[in-house]
Amino acid sequence: MDERTEIMLDNIGMTYKTNDGRDVTALTSVTLDIRKGEFISLLGPSGCGKTTLLRIIADLLTPTQGNISVGGETPRQARLKQRYGIVFQSAVLYDWRTVRKNVMLPLEIMHVPKEERIDRADKMLELVGLSDFANHFPGQLSGGMQQRVGIARALAIRPEILLMDEPFSALDEFTREKLHDDLLRIWRKTNKTVVFVTHNISEAVYLSDRVCVLSPHPGRLSAVVDIDLPRPRTAQLKSTPEFTALVAKVRSSFEGV
Amino acid sequence: MKIKKFFSSQKFIVFVWVLGIAVIWEIFAFIVAATKRTPVNVLPHLWQIIEAFFSDKKVSGKMTMAELIGTACQETLLRAAIGFAIGTVLGYLLALLMNLSRIVEKIAFPYLMLIQMIPILGMAPIILSITGDINTSRIVIAAILTFYPVSANTLAGFKAVEQEKCELMYSYASSRFQLYTKTLIPSCIPYFFTGLKISAPMAITASILVDTLQGGNGLGCMLSQSLKGGMTRLVFWDIVLISAIIGILSYQVMGLIEKLICPYKRTKKAD
Repeated sequence: MDERTEIMLDNIGMTYKTNDGRDVTALTSVTLDIRKGEFISLLGPSGCGKTTLLRIIADLLTPTQGNISVGGETPRQARLKQRYGIVFQSAVLYDWRTVRKNVMLPLEIMHVPKEERIDRADKMLELVGLSDFANHFPGQLSGGMQQRVGIARALAIRPEILLMDEPFSALDEFTREKLHDDLLRIWRKTNKTVVFVTHNISEAVYLSDRVCVLSPHPGRLSAVVDIDLPRPRTAQLKSTPEFTALVAKVRSSFEGV
Repeated sequence: MKIKKFFSSQKFIVFVWVLGIAVIWEIFAFIVAATKRTPVNVLPHLWQIIEAFFSDKKVSGKMTMAELIGTACQETLLRAAIGFAIGTVLGYLLALLMNLSRIVEKIAFPYLMLIQMIPILGMAPIILSITGDINTSRIVIAAILTFYPVSANTLAGFKAVEQEKCELMYSYASSRFQLYTKTLIPSCIPYFFTGLKISAPMAITASILVDTLQGGNGLGCMLSQSLKGGMTRLVFWDIVLISAIIGILSYQVMGLIEKLICPYKRTKKAD
């Protein structure tokens, strides 16, 4: 294990028991090292265990097999040290709190003093371009704006690892592309390790340093594709032959599924 | 455009609704007036009821109708309000306990259902013999009726909180106390108010109903005196009308309070 490794997954497996007592294997023998500051995607069809894997890293699930370490600690220790920022598919905003107060919520949990809370929340809102909406309620925002509030909230606690579970899959194509660029810009500025779950091939290729392809029945890691496209990336990249070739390469690793 | 907006507005719908009831009432009142010997005992005209309310004629001792009903209202509403407050607090606390502990939920929930199924008038004499005081029993019964809707709805509210919200709190390493104060309790407020909206009119109805069991100065006491011929029958009709209005108002007041404490319910979507 090299010292730049942030998350180390060693032979991870997850088996559920169904109600009638049968064992269902959601994930089997996943071994993967995620580097510090890396943008990595977990890509696959539904049922491939990509969300399960993310939830194992986040300490929302405990694997039934294998070892996982996050910066030399268990996921539980990492969670208790508030090293994770999580973004879900839906923005999961608190509709009784204003946008600013939504971003302040995790800081309240951490007992950050009030002035600093406001300060940090406003900085995060500026980062995601929502300064003008700080006093709005989530119900007044569009889906894309809500998701950006979710990202600001996840970043507010200054996590080292950003875990994103299909964060853009409920958005329309235009909003999604805009948020891709926003996310890359934020990632470049903040240098987080990002684990990004998606079922969209070109999204994974566009954003990531590496794409982990997972296959279903049982969920397993079937390929890891290096995306050696130059950064910073812009939307023009998507029409280059290099990009198309990488998308084709990732797609081909699904064959035989 | 403006006219169309007016016709689909809440106010217009309420207006049509009230008018509809008044028209149907009056049709039957005219039929009754033409066919029965004492129409006021069966169905008086609306204007007779309203006129009686504002008339200076003494209906009981030195009191006019408005004074009589005003005092009776105060009595009954005070008892209903105390019972409602007690029932709300206890109902909420039980919902909290049931959500904190599955065992408490399993034990308590069947009792909740059971209390709900016993008719109030069957319960009243039992409560009366336990408390030994009719006014206390009136409060207790209002509380019992409030209890179930508040408790059941609040519990449903706790259970309806999105899984992801709890997972977020978990990922922030929040304490259980923070999970409740920051997430569970605020998000179940709309459910809690649904319970309050159901039980506020119920508490008032119960209070009036239990009034009729014994004497006193409550609305129900006056109502039964009027029915027994102790006062003019119009007292009965006025009380029926007034209690209907109070019941509706109590529902509206709960909605108003909800809007006051939930500012996000007042905002509209921006473009």
